Amino acid sequence: MNALRGPSMQDDAALARLEDWFAARGWAPASFQRAAWSRFRAGESGLIHAPTGSGKTLAAWGGPVLAALARGGASPRRGPRPLRAIWITPLRALAADTHGALQSLADGVGLGWKILRRTGDSGSGERARLARGEADALVTTPESLSLLLSYADAPERFSALEAVIVDEWHELLGSKRGVLLELALSHLRAQRAGSAAALRVWGVSATLGNLPQALAVLMGPRGGGALVHAETPRAVVVDSLLPPDTLRFPWAGHLGLVQLPQVLDAIGRVRSTLLFTNTRAQAELWHQALAAVWTDDPATLALHHGSLDRALRTQVEDGLRAGTLRCVVATSSLDLGVDFAAVDQVVQVGSPKGVARLLQRAGRSRHRPGEASRVLCVPTHNLELVEIAAARRALATGRLESRVPLVSCLDVLAQHVATLASGAGIDAAQALREARDTHAFRELSDADWQATLQLVEQGGATLGAYPDFRKVVRAPDGRLTIASRAAALRQRLSVGTIVSDGQVAVRWLQGGALGHVEESFVARLSPGDRFLFAGRTLELVRMKDLTAYVRSARGKPGGVPRWMGGKMPLSTELAAATQALLAEHDPPEPEMRLARPMLDAQARLSRVPSAADLLVEIVAARDGEHLFVFPFAGRLAHEGLAALLAFRLARDAPASFSFAVNDYGLVVGGRRLPTLDASRLRRLLSPDDLAADLGGSLNLAELARRQFREVARVAGLVFQGLPGRSKSMRQLTASSTLLYDVLAEHEPGHVLLRQARDEVLRGQLEVARLEAALRDAQARTLRLERPERLTPFGFPLWAESIRGQLSSEDWQDRVRRMAERLEAAT
Amino acid sequence: MNTAVDAAPHTLLLAGEPVVLDPDRALYWPARRTLLVADVHFGKAQVLREGGIPLPRGSTGADLARLDALLHRHGARRLLVLGDLVHGRTVPDAAWIERVRAWRAGHAALDCAVVRGNHDRHVDPARLGFEGVDDTLHEGPFVFAHEPAPDPRGYVLGGHLHPGVVLRERHAPRARLPAFWFGTSVGVLPAFGRLTGLMPVQPAPMDQVFAIAAGLVVPIGTRHRRT
Repeated sequence: MNALRGPSMQDDAALARLEDWFAARGWAPASFQRAAWSRFRAGESGLIHAPTGSGKTLAAWGGPVLAALARGGASPRRGPRPLRAIWITPLRALAADTHGALQSLADGVGLGWKILRRTGDSGSGERARLARGEADALVTTPESLSLLLSYADAPERFSALEAVIVDEWHELLGSKRGVLLELALSHLRAQRAGSAAALRVWGVSATLGNLPQALAVLMGPRGGGALVHAETPRAVVVDSLLPPDTLRFPWAGHLGLVQLPQVLDAIGRVRSTLLFTNTRAQAELWHQALAAVWTDDPATLALHHGSLDRALRTQVEDGLRAGTLRCVVATSSLDLGVDFAAVDQVVQVGSPKGVARLLQRAGRSRHRPGEASRVLCVPTHNLELVEIAAARRALATGRLESRVPLVSCLDVLAQHVATLASGAGIDAAQALREARDTHAFRELSDADWQATLQLVEQGGATLGAYPDFRKVVRAPDGRLTIASRAAALRQRLSVGTIVSDGQVAVRWLQGGALGHVEESFVARLSPGDRFLFAGRTLELVRMKDLTAYVRSARGKPGGVPRWMGGKMPLSTELAAATQALLAEHDPPEPEMRLARPMLDAQARLSRVPSAADLLVEIVAARDGEHLFVFPFAGRLAHEGLAALLAFRLARDAPASFSFAVNDYGLVVGGRRLPTLDASRLRRLLSPDDLAADLGGSLNLAELARRQFREVARVAGLVFQGLPGRSKSMRQLTASSTLLYDVLAEHEPGHVLLRQARDEVLRGQLEVARLEAALRDAQARTLRLERPERLTPFGFPLWAESIRGQLSSEDWQDRVRRMAERLEAAT
Repeated sequence: MNTAVDAAPHTLLLAGEPVVLDPDRALYWPARRTLLVADVHFGKAQVLREGGIPLPRGSTGADLARLDALLHRHGARRLLVLGDLVHGRTVPDAAWIERVRAWRAGHAALDCAVVRGNHDRHVDPARLGFEGVDDTLHEGPFVFAHEPAPDPRGYVLGGHLHPGVVLRERHAPRARLPAFWFGTSVGVLPAFGRLTGLMPVQPAPMDQVFAIAAGLVVPIGTRHRRT
């Protein structure tokens, strides 16, 4: 292969053609682009670290294009040809965009490549062309790649594959989607192992705190790979839109619409603005509020979020490219690499909650070479003032968030094995080698591997406990294949790791799609009810087959759909920066000056939390007594800590305690709290017996039961609702909670139950971090305050606990108590 | 799951007849010493296993033991199933069929019938020792049916819907509970089979709904009801 011979005549000619294409656009290749190309040509793999809009796509795509040019010989106009490259994108919505960019470069240098898209959105024509092998390159998602591996022709289809490029790798790292992709990459690598040139795997990532690790995970345990950096990151200027009057500034969660006039002014001063919010519901409400006071052409204001129909989103993206939009209200759906010319101004409503996210969003603003990019933050409540100032500091010192890769997800492994078995089949020993050739399963134990095999072959560990179970069968020679065509079909329908609540399509009565909302939201509506969605007030006409038919309505909407994961946690880095900033005496930031009255009130009533102390407040309010603790250890660790506190309190004095958490701390409340002093609090916060106490906390079983939903779905134990699904599929529905109960009763050692519990402990409660927080708490000076009323730091927690969703009580006890109350009332 | 030990039944006057709502998802009609259950879905575990869903064996035995406890608790002489006694197509010699037949043989004096449901086409009830009734069964003041629809002959008791309620409370995750649902002319029993799902009901203002929770039958007021 050329790659092993080093640069040649053909290589030089190919590079010249690529440079000509750049020159024709008035561009010149950046040095990081050249670096990525030459490493690719040398047969290397690697990770390109570059922000959106910096030419990262060309950096990653240039390699395969140059290789094809150097190889020479045109692709046939029609008919089958070898598939050379796969481009993985985390979002279906990005596929169209990326496809355009890749095709345009390929055409521009005269490669004559046919690049196909294969995502959940693909039409039957595109699928058929792909099935006939009429693609030189493919743009797809991790799930669709997995799906391709489930077909018998996969080995043939991928036999000439030279490169896999993983775009937005930072988005996949740290999730089960990333683990699924690791397994698929390992399989593709293994298939190419016998050929002259190894598969080259390249990732593209935005700035992360752990880029070397991101590279290592992508490369797998064999290591290697180059880290190619784009030019030094631009400076970012973070401004705040400070309200003229702080008195009306709320203490806790708010939409921030009180700032609407100033935001409208800011939008009016420039030609184009991108206004980011943290949730889709917030985006809908801001869009509505802006529309109500918009004096410009209404067509120049638009809304973009992930639940909107693709056609609507594309319309907005095209508008951004064409420069016809004055303002787009968006969520993280525009964080990712949708390519469009930068806008004049980026506005962030609310705290960015993470340093990397703020950096990425700021990168959307127009800038001249050498100039800083800017972002205008709109604080919506007092504590966000501090968070914004802290984010600016963290950016200045380059303290960015890491994405911690997941390891040992046996549910994903079980899915992957069943996927390969559905296709060409795979030798069990080979499947194990490939699994261990990933970062996620490099330390996979023999016992766990056997348990995974047992799960797909016989249903569970106890032989004979699952009569007539049929999924994957092992031939005498060790080859794993799927049990039946029906099983293969079901496997294909359950590929993927994204577990969503039931989604209901929203469509106009006269036809035309608007997007998706959660089933639980629509279930609460009756025909005639009005709600806000896709920037319009809609009236529900009827529900049919998982579709809500709507028509346009006037008047005040009754509600805004809320989507799962609406709450965005403050990153550890930003929490640490916030805490550090709070400890400072009179910091110079304008936000801090504005936050001063709030911080003074906190100091007057209690004290301002700092890194050296652990602040504990006990407040007696009308609705009971509340214990506030402020460790700044992150929402997840706080959740575990609150459960632990509630459990230990209840053990000492049986009573029912509710709790709530936020990024700063937690509150445990009850009708009455036991008498608490500093030494008693220290014991309550002791790291001793942590595992036993958490295990003893009844909450764990319920949490595991809920977590099992995802595990069961990923491992293929339950099927997600599919519209128009056949009757035979409907017969196979069983709720995951039911499965959990039956398994817990009959096979308590089941590998997936263990996984659900592990995920709760490691992922949901972050036990390691919880333990660190407890040790840290022991080292700090405990400051016990008894303020006479709720403090500015305590108030948001109290408000949260009012609508909180957690309880230390056993579920059955709660229902019993509720039942007693109801019976007493009748 | 409900245990028979602490089960607390709830008596109700339905179409002028006293009936007992049992928290183990059954209705007892004392006048005829008849135990009514709906949507048993025997054999569902096996259908799931054949479909690649690993569900350990033992669910048929557990459901039969629940029936035993119910029959004993109320002193019933007759078992009437309001449809969907079985879940689906099955292999001819499925283990669960033998279990049900053995159970039936051990209850020779018990009168067992099923008002055929949409799922019962897969297995002839006679094979399980159950008398099969097509369509509906009129025993004044009641009409027994699988799919609940008003009938001029009397108050209809049916199944098919797997009714349930979703309760939301402060400080607590959502609870989905099976429920009895009684309208003005039609009543629906909760599904008896443990492996069955729930459909949240949307009751009319005059309807009575009883949720089953922690071994109790709990009347649900509209105030607490969310669907």
